[in-house]
Order: sequence, then structure tokens, then C-alpha cells
Amino acid sequence: MPKCIIDGREAEFTPGQNLIEVAKSAGIDIPLFCYHPGLSVVAQCRMCAVEIEKMPKLQTACSTMATEGMVVKTKSEKTKENQESVMEFLLANHPLDCPVCDKSGECDLQDNSYKHGSSYSRYTEERRTYLDLDMGPVIKKNMNRCIHCTRCIRFGNEIAGLREMVALKRGNNTEITTIDGRPLETDYAGNYSDICPTGSLTLKDFRFKKRAWFLTKVPTVCEGCSKGCNMEIQQDNDQIYRCVPRENLEINRHWLCDEGRFNFHYLEREDRLVDPARSKSSGIEICDWGTSIDTAKATLEGQKVAILLGSDLTQEEASSVLQFKAQHYADSPIFHFGTPGVVSSKDDGPEDRILKQKSKTSNLNGMEKLGIPGFERLPAEITAALVIRGGRAVLPPEIDGVEKVGIGVFMKDQAMMFSAILPGLSFAEKDGTILNYEGRAQKLKRAVQAPGQSKSLSEILMIWTNRKNSHGVA
Amino acid sequence: MLLKKKKGFIQELYLVEIIKGLMITMKNMLFAPKVTIQFPEERRNYSDRFRGMHYIKATNGVENCTACMLCPTVCPAECIHIEAGERPDKEKYPVKFEIDLLRCCFCGMCEEACPKDAIKLSNIYEMSTTYREVYDKQFLLEQRGNK
Repeated sequence: MPKCIIDGREAEFTPGQNLIEVAKSAGIDIPLFCYHPGLSVVAQCRMCAVEIEKMPKLQTACSTMATEGMVVKTKSEKTKENQESVMEFLLANHPLDCPVCDKSGECDLQDNSYKHGSSYSRYTEERRTYLDLDMGPVIKKNMNRCIHCTRCIRFGNEIAGLREMVALKRGNNTEITTIDGRPLETDYAGNYSDICPTGSLTLKDFRFKKRAWFLTKVPTVCEGCSKGCNMEIQQDNDQIYRCVPRENLEINRHWLCDEGRFNFHYLEREDRLVDPARSKSSGIEICDWGTSIDTAKATLEGQKVAILLGSDLTQEEASSVLQFKAQHYADSPIFHFGTPGVVSSKDDGPEDRILKQKSKTSNLNGMEKLGIPGFERLPAEITAALVIRGGRAVLPPEIDGVEKVGIGVFMKDQAMMFSAILPGLSFAEKDGTILNYEGRAQKLKRAVQAPGQSKSLSEILMIWTNRKNSHGVA
Repeated sequence: MLLKKKKGFIQELYLVEIIKGLMITMKNMLFAPKVTIQFPEERRNYSDRFRGMHYIKATNGVENCTACMLCPTVCPAECIHIEAGERPDKEKYPVKFEIDLLRCCFCGMCEEACPKDAIKLSNIYEMSTTYREVYDKQFLLEQRGNK
């Protein structure tokens, strides 16, 4: 492999790699604003300019490819002088509202100002201000904080495939806005807030909820569809505040759709059932684990039972259900369900040209690997069903006519149709493996504690197996 | 070998020594300046840097605090609880601002961290109560120290 020298360190590179990436692999950070590995290179913030031997002027590291024997200095006097000047220009108009801004703590401008800027400002003129128009339900814009890196414009053009953000006017008066001030249309709007290096574009959903440095970050996988995008759950004190994409160049690259990003809200809904319950004519009644399991057993006793598995369960949970079935309901048929219209992975496919898949549950592929057939209709002789799901699989309407017992995450209005509900865990509350649409096994990681009295599926099945009924027989 | 010195009977009584000690006691009791004060009537002057009861400074009736959460971040006792919100005249303001007085150690780091000069420690030091005291935002805004 060819080599170049950065700050006296030898760095190997593959031809075509730019200096920022080469320096990163050598453990050297070059400050930057407009460069993003997932977007095209425009070299307009000038922050990453470095000194290269035998070149008369500074070169931007993002647009300069490394060549054999190149000698780069990222910490020379000239480079530092440039960085300080760029920071001074950017901060000339940047408001001093870090205490109010949601980005502070994870802001590129803040970090680089701290590392490379001067703590003194010479600017005495009035700062330019803008009026902000509404940007739709996802993004809150504050144009005063913008540094014109155009990452958002390039994201819209290149990734979302919608030319919705544009730069109006020139120079100091440049305004980044949507065309005619329309609200954002893309389903990937949350990414605007992730790529923005300042607090110009922030999430309305996360607005003022928590400062970034309080959040504990848990790497996990999105359960929104069968794509299996890598994401990070950010929680504090067992409450999830937001989900952000995690880089995985083979699956989701740097992005996450809004559906997956805001999917976690159902976990914290008021009407989620977190205590064992049974339904009576008057409504659902919260009871203890023993009573609800007895009710569940009584409901299924002597009936022809079908087991329905949501394809949002993990591989581990599905196999424990298979074992449970072999022990108690060996003759019962077992099906998986998830998305209306998607019975098997043949029906699955890309929903748009970016990330979304048609199957809106994460583990469709895994269910098929375990040999569980997809659900189309109940066999005629079936009189009762045991429905086990995470929180995302859509209950098929065909099961309305029979007696049902539910295990998993259910809302109160859904609970009415079950004779007993045993509350289980959602994707953020359990560990496990899921297989995405191409068969790639990825790990879910527990981010928060199970709410209320809910238990993991294996624990519920164990109580079910070990609990003796009134005759003293298990 | 330790030799015990023989003393006379008068010396064994230690009368002289007892009287000598009593003289010192009487001298301090009757003539030395007093260190205590008659508290509620008389009050001691503390330094301007004394760290007592907290208050939130307001400018033109609007609290200075923007709920930036730097004081709960720096607080070693974790006694400050803030919830942020938005209202028309102020982009970000504290909906809830509570100081749990039982946890507070009066280190003054919140005052030092505050970028808006909002949370301050006053000279008031009479804070003892018979119940668990949590200062809410209304109280902190209304009470002003003698600073």
C-alpha cells in the first residue's frame, strides 16, 4: 500500500482516499464542518485546510487525495493560523445562545471553537438575524446559528432524492431554506438534525427535553422494518429520549428514517399495559401474575390452539416458544405474523430507494429460518389462539372470532380482545438476535429496564410451565 | 529503676495548685472579652462571599435562567432539578426549578457555573426547618438575599 506522512507519522492509504480519512486512520483529527463521509465533497468551509510540502498554499484536506510520499502538516503555524481565522469568521455572526441551544454538548462548532478558536472576539457590529419559517413537524430551524456548510442541501439532493433545501442570496446574507418556505417532505428529515454541525436544524421531538451530555448511549438495531438499520438509543434514567443512526456502511450507511427514529414513542405510551391483566365483561382488570396465567391456561384448556408469533420477536424468543410448543401444544399449528400483506420474505422488498423495507417487522427472515410458516388464515378447526409478539407486529383481523391469550406489548384498547394479557418486553428492553432481510444477524441490546411488572418471554413461559393448577398438576 | 520522690503532707494536698488553677478560671470568667452574642437581637457580620440561601435573579421581572442545565451538571450533591420549556416571550425557560435543601452542601459551584448570572447564593443563613425543605421556582424568584 502507498504511504504518506502526516504530522511525521507514516499513514497507509488506498488510492483515492482523501486526507481527512487517511489522517483519521492514522489517529489524527482534522477539524471540519462541511465534509461528511456520506455526502459529496464541496470544500467550502475551509476549516480542514492543511499545509502540504511543495504546495504554495494551504489545501483543503477533504478535496485533496493522498498521494505517495506526500508530506502533510496539520498542526503547523500556517494551518493553525488559518483555523483560527476561519473560526473567527464563523463566530462573527453566530449567536451566543449555547445555554438555549439543544446542540450544545455535541456541537461541531462548539468543539472546534474550544479546540482551535480564540476566546476573544473582535466583532463589534450588529449580528445578522433571520426570521425562521416553520419546517414541518420534525425539524425546528434557527437560521441565525447556521454556518452555511450546505450539508443539509447535499443530503436532500443526494440521499433523500428531494431538492427541498436551497441556499438563497450570496455571501454574508446567504439563507438556507426550503423552496418557498414549504415544510420538509422527506421521510428522512431527522437526519438533517444529525448532520447539521450547529444547532440550526434540531429535532422538535427532542427540543429542550435533555442536554446531550446526560444521555447514556446504547448501540442497538432498529426494529422498524426488515432492513435492520444500526442505531443508538439515548436514554437517561430508564427513559428513552431519542434514537440516532449508527454508522454501518453495509446497511444504513449514516442514515435512519423518521419511522424508525420515532418508533420508540410507543414504549412510553400511557395506555401500554405493563401489568398482567385479564378481561372481564366490565373491562380489563389488572391482576397478579398467578391469576392471569391461570386465566390464560383455563382459556386454552381443551381447545384447539394455534400459536401466532409476531415476527418482531428475536431468534432466542422464537426458539424458546418452539420448545414451549413441543412441551405443551405439540399438535398445534404455529404461524408468524407481522405486516399486513407481507406473508413471507418473497413479499418483502424495498419500499423506497433509500432504506425502508416493506416488512415492518425486524425479524421476518429469522422466523423463516426457524421453519415457522407465515400466517394467512386460521385453520378451520382452531378455537383458540396464543398470540405472542413484541410491540410492532400488526394483529391480523382474521383471529377476531376465537378465544385469545396475548403475551408481549399491548395497548389497553387492544387488550380488550384477549381473555388474558401477560406483559412482555419491547425491543429496547431486551437482548437478542434478529436477522435482517439479507440474513445478517445483528444484536439488540437492552437500553432500559422493563417497565412495571412486565417480564421477559422466557420468564413468562417458565412461570407458565412450572405453575401448578388447582389439581396440583403442572 | 524509678525512684519516687517523697513529698510532705501539705504538698500532697495540692492546695496551692488548686488555688492557682482557680485564679486562671476566675480571671477568664470575669475579665476576658465574651465570644458569644445575643443571637436574635445581635447579628454577626459575614463576608460578602458567604454562601447562604439560594435565589434566582430576575431582570425586568423575567428570570435570568434559561434552563441550560449547567448547575445540575456541576452540582456535586445533585440537589438541583430543572425542567425546561418554551413560552412566547422566552425561547427557553425553567418550567420547574427545585433545590433540595437537605442535599445541598453550599459549595457555590452552581453560582460559578451559571452563564446567565441567574442562580446566586445570598447572605441569609437562617434556614433550619422541622420538615424536608425543597425550594421551588416561585420561592427562589421571590426571595432576594441582602447581596
